[in-house]
Amino acid sequence: MENTIQTSTTSQLDVKFQLRPGATAAEITLKPGQKITAEGGSMIAKSTAIQMTTSTQQRKSGGIMKGLKRLVSGENFFLNHYVAPAEGGKLWLGTTHIGDMELKELHGENLIIQGGSFVACTENVSIDASWQGFKNLVSKENLFWVKASGQGTVIFNSFGAIYQIQVNGEHIVDTGHIVAFEETLAFSLTKAGKSWMSSILGGEGLVCKFKGKGIVWVQSHNSSSFGSALGPKLKPR
Amino acid sequence: METTTTTEGFDFKFDCKPDYGFLTVKIPNGKKLKVEAAAMASMDTNLEMKTKFKGGFKRFLSGESIFINEFTAKNGNAEIQIAPASPGDMEHVYLNNQTIYLQNTAFVASGDEVLVETKWQGFTKGFFSGESFFLIKCSGKGDLWFNSYGGIIPIDVEGDYVVDTGHIVAFTEGLTYTINRIGGYKSLFFSGEGLVCNFKGKGRVWIQTRKITPFISWIHPFRPVKNKN
Repeated sequence: MENTIQTSTTSQLDVKFQLRPGATAAEITLKPGQKITAEGGSMIAKSTAIQMTTSTQQRKSGGIMKGLKRLVSGENFFLNHYVAPAEGGKLWLGTTHIGDMELKELHGENLIIQGGSFVACTENVSIDASWQGFKNLVSKENLFWVKASGQGTVIFNSFGAIYQIQVNGEHIVDTGHIVAFEETLAFSLTKAGKSWMSSILGGEGLVCKFKGKGIVWVQSHNSSSFGSALGPKLKPR
Repeated sequence: METTTTTEGFDFKFDCKPDYGFLTVKIPNGKKLKVEAAAMASMDTNLEMKTKFKGGFKRFLSGESIFINEFTAKNGNAEIQIAPASPGDMEHVYLNNQTIYLQNTAFVASGDEVLVETKWQGFTKGFFSGESFFLIKCSGKGDLWFNSYGGIIPIDVEGDYVVDTGHIVAFTEGLTYTINRIGGYKSLFFSGEGLVCNFKGKGRVWIQTRKITPFISWIHPFRPVKNKN
């Protein structure tokens, strides 16, 4: 009964993705003194000597009280920073949803990641949670987007399996299925069908049209659709 | 997937691991298997079922009890298929006069000679999975199967290790633990990590790659809103 282990070591980071694609966890072996930043709540386990501090990535400006308010409204984005001790150490990361993980090495380019899909990044990658490219997108999940830039490795996760689309020209992806995309791509929100009527009745609603050259990472399942399927069966809140 | 044949214990087979772990056990004639209540999916007709209620009524009210059904093979060998309540992984351990502690929903099945009991952790330690102050203590000799929400990964601890309380599935007796906060006070409230379990000693911890509580929080906004008229 062996695990499905996929080693995805980059020059920056030693990562093994275990139990892919449904129950994926990232086993990260940190070098002495190496730093990594991860989404709040994603830690499963770690070597005791790895130190952790927390910072707030504010999506709007405001002090700690406003921060608390946003915490309650689910609008905040907390990052935990881990530092390995002199002997190195191990850090295990997981996600909320059933699904897979993927990584991308950045060499100065920008990657846009759906907020809930960001898992972790190495030290020289900066994370900006105020990216507003899709600000008109309405969603029950309070969808936000994160811009990762710099030099290093970024890990992100998906709801369900994850697949890459190499766009060269034009491609349409349902907004609920976008995990991440390279910012070299231009994008616009549009309707899936010829008319708004057919787009809405067809259940596709808004889709994203990517233009140019670059990679889009797409998830096999749409978490909003899953939520909408389960929600009505639950007791009112 | 091939049937695991062991010199000790029952023959068994896992299917659909790690996402939808499902267990088939072959019970030899006259032998007994303990199974978590309601986990039986299908079985041969020559299996006789008896319900055992561990704990008593008072303990039932406090949540400190588990229902176990005992299946005995009569007039020949029999096969039983077992499906745990939540989708996820399953693991098997053969206890040879050893003790393993399980998170309170992790028990799936065990051999007859495995003693299954609930154990109060005390208020300071009762933060496992944020839902129960109890652990299930399994000791003695025989097979033990346990499950999780998400995948299961074993970690061998030598010295010490930190595990998020909600990610613990099981651990061996050789380990001691304390419940601590991680990082500073800001981290306690904002890190999303809450409290962690600090294991010390030599032994094995089984972790689960997903937790059910964040899933429940995520589904919350999708619930219908109560009509306030």
